[in-house]
Amino acid sequence: MSNMLIGLRDWVDARLPIMKAWNTHMAQYYAPKNFNFWYFFGVLSLLVLVNQLLTGIWLTMSYTPSQEGAFASVEYIMRDVDYGWILRYMHSTGASAFFVVVYLHMFRAMLYGSYKKPRELIWIFGMLIFVVLMAEAFVGYVLPWGQMSYWGAQVIISLFGAIPYFGEDIVTWIRGDYLLSGITLNRFFALHVVALPIILLALVVLHLLALHEVGSNNPDGVDIKKHKDKDGIPLDGVAFHPYYTVHDLQAIGVFLFIFCGIMFFMPEMGGFFLEYPNFEQANNLKTPEHIAPTWYFTPFYSVLRAVPDKLWGFIAFAAAVAIPFMLPWLDRSPVRSWRYRGNINKVMLVAFVSSFLILGVLGAWAPTEARTTLARICTVIYFSFFLLMPIWSSIDKTKPVPERVTMDGGIGFWGSIGGVLLILVLTILPLQAVASSSHDCGTIECDEFAADPHDKASLQRGVKTYMNYCMGCHSLQYQRYNRVAEDLGIPEDLFHVNLMFDPAVKMGALMENAMDKDEAKKWFGAAPPDLTLVSRARQPQWLYTYLRTFYQDSSRPYGVNNKVFKDVGMPHVLLALQGMQECAPGPVTGDNGGVKRDPLTGEDILEDPCGQLVIPVAGEMTSQEFDETVYDLVNFLAYSAEPMVTDRHRIGMFTLLFIALFTVFAWLLNREYWKDVH
Amino acid sequence: MTSDGVNSGRRTFLTAATSAVAAVGAVGILTPFVGSWNPSAKAKAAGAPVKADVGLLEPGQMVVVEWRGQPVYVVNRTASQLEALAGLNDQLRDPESENTAQQPTYITGIERSSLPNLLVVVGLCTHLGCAPKYVPEVGAADMGGAEWVGGFFCPCHGSKFDLSGRVYAGVPAPANLLVPPYSFEGDNVLVVGVNPENV
Repeated sequence: MSNMLIGLRDWVDARLPIMKAWNTHMAQYYAPKNFNFWYFFGVLSLLVLVNQLLTGIWLTMSYTPSQEGAFASVEYIMRDVDYGWILRYMHSTGASAFFVVVYLHMFRAMLYGSYKKPRELIWIFGMLIFVVLMAEAFVGYVLPWGQMSYWGAQVIISLFGAIPYFGEDIVTWIRGDYLLSGITLNRFFALHVVALPIILLALVVLHLLALHEVGSNNPDGVDIKKHKDKDGIPLDGVAFHPYYTVHDLQAIGVFLFIFCGIMFFMPEMGGFFLEYPNFEQANNLKTPEHIAPTWYFTPFYSVLRAVPDKLWGFIAFAAAVAIPFMLPWLDRSPVRSWRYRGNINKVMLVAFVSSFLILGVLGAWAPTEARTTLARICTVIYFSFFLLMPIWSSIDKTKPVPERVTMDGGIGFWGSIGGVLLILVLTILPLQAVASSSHDCGTIECDEFAADPHDKASLQRGVKTYMNYCMGCHSLQYQRYNRVAEDLGIPEDLFHVNLMFDPAVKMGALMENAMDKDEAKKWFGAAPPDLTLVSRARQPQWLYTYLRTFYQDSSRPYGVNNKVFKDVGMPHVLLALQGMQECAPGPVTGDNGGVKRDPLTGEDILEDPCGQLVIPVAGEMTSQEFDETVYDLVNFLAYSAEPMVTDRHRIGMFTLLFIALFTVFAWLLNREYWKDVH
Repeated sequence: MTSDGVNSGRRTFLTAATSAVAAVGAVGILTPFVGSWNPSAKAKAAGAPVKADVGLLEPGQMVVVEWRGQPVYVVNRTASQLEALAGLNDQLRDPESENTAQQPTYITGIERSSLPNLLVVVGLCTHLGCAPKYVPEVGAADMGGAEWVGGFFCPCHGSKFDLSGRVYAGVPAPANLLVPPYSFEGDNVLVVGVNPENV
């Protein structure tokens, strides 16, 4: 058997140089033996690239690239396709992971001067990969056709309008329409799944070929090719395979552990990986309250906003992305690695990273005057780092670079932790100064809410309330009746008889038989929205607070208003259960953010005419019973927004345990190979 | 770098062990990719069994029920139509339904049905998949006149079937019309796509 395989290998090798390629790039590629933590991110970006390609191909099998079908097809993948949610979360988490590893990979090059001669082309190809990756991520984010997809794309495409004379024509040409539409979506789909991945792959090949031609840099920045043994092998080099393959394997284990931890337990990453407004379908007539690009674009977006001029903002934005291309020629230091450079370099690196991180956070926040000022300061630091580099890098003191690589150079583990802490402090302190509190629930704070997808009794009560009070107007158009019945442990025949209005609708059907959309628009002024995803778009604590804060307001058409959603078009559907709430004087917030109290008696000053709500005539339920009913209802909506949540946690648990096991083996294997390398 | 202290037995063992764990992991990773090719909930909902109330079907009347995107013909055959079936046997290709692929095991005899009067067949010609027309009129002139006792005629390539869906000899269609799995709920509700409980 093995003879046959060797025979086959030799047969191919005589016709195609596979052994030569293997030796050139793996078995006889000698990499410096002193690679540290920072050298894991190259292989990790390759791993993420493969993940993106595979999951991306599989997603296209169920995705519909059309204005009408795109959003629904993503939910189809999340709910109806077997394991579709895993593929989608692998792809969406992978997109962010890609930028995490690429940013760290780039920072590594800046630490150790890996862009300097003779590795300028590697850096150029790397920067091109970064730019193409940004384009790929941008067009990819449009495809789910949610509110953030739409308005994010609207803002970024409109940037080109800043170009003098041709601007508006270019914008129209990119969109292929007079507004962002299905036409734009279709071309972005083609770019995302065909054109840009091909370019990306080609650039990755060039990046690696150029790297393997000149050889890898190392944390000491010394040239290992200067000292070779009698066979011409660098004395400080080890064969990439097996030494660095086993070395990287343990890093892959740790990385996958973190990756799967996020993917299975917090796939939205608090709204940074998947933004909440993107769970609402694109609407070209309604902009979300606050538009922020996904986190990996926010530093550059901050630069754009920091400049008070459309054209110059665009130029600054483009320059911020492009200026690192120049790094090999801006850096005049005779030394590569920061280890042998002076203090100016250390200060500049820390300032650069801190300002980049601050810009990133500011780009995700709504702008205020103080924040804009901070963004301007950081923009100046960002550009000074590059533009003044020819000066500061040449006047900085340097230490002598050793002849051979060192295994104990650098600042070690605790030194690195110290560096990270220093950067974090320098990032967080300025940000705290410009932070501002805002109310998450309109005029008030949200009440706390913790969904419990395992509490089937609560979910069953919730679906009953939903079918009786909500389904008349609000569809759950991405959810199927039989899925709800199965997940909630309700026998199908009971569900069919007791919880469905229309016996003709099949159990396998989508729950879209609410009132006719056009009729509804006539009656309410606005069509009641579909609620399948409302708990992801609005968050459950918002819903929980909203449903409990209707109060009497005779100026409104239905006689009620809402504390959370002012002037909402919805009547108080649960009125009979809750009883009508009325405004009563309540406490107000003072200038210092605390509750205003009488300085003599210590009692709250009741200056707000609607500071609290009271129920003069009780409804069918006590206040506590009503809160429980609303809890169950919102719990059901949280379930319907992500019906696979219990599967997600269960599969995630097994996956993490398995990866931990794999990592242990990889670690042992690595230790065995490396124990004699000194 | 030296290869003096290499413990090749340990290396081999650890390599094999790590590879084995990685292989299990690869199967795990493959699962969503392979599994996502199964019929989705949407496909399953579209392919779910369909119910039809056949209690009000007049003698001789046909209704079409859609099951998995296919037309299913349901005919309430009259007594005279059933009587005519036996006399056709020598004109047919497979009068005794010996081709077992064309009906479930519980469908036997020349009636090819569970209830003698109620014919349930997939209305797709076994030649190239056109939907045959229901031609119940005895002696229809365009169907060969007096010899025609009622049946199905495929307009695409002229295949003919009798009122049990049995194919005539000498036409392009090779086999009898397919009888889908079906059963009844109560007396009148036909369920296409579900076998009877005792089978």
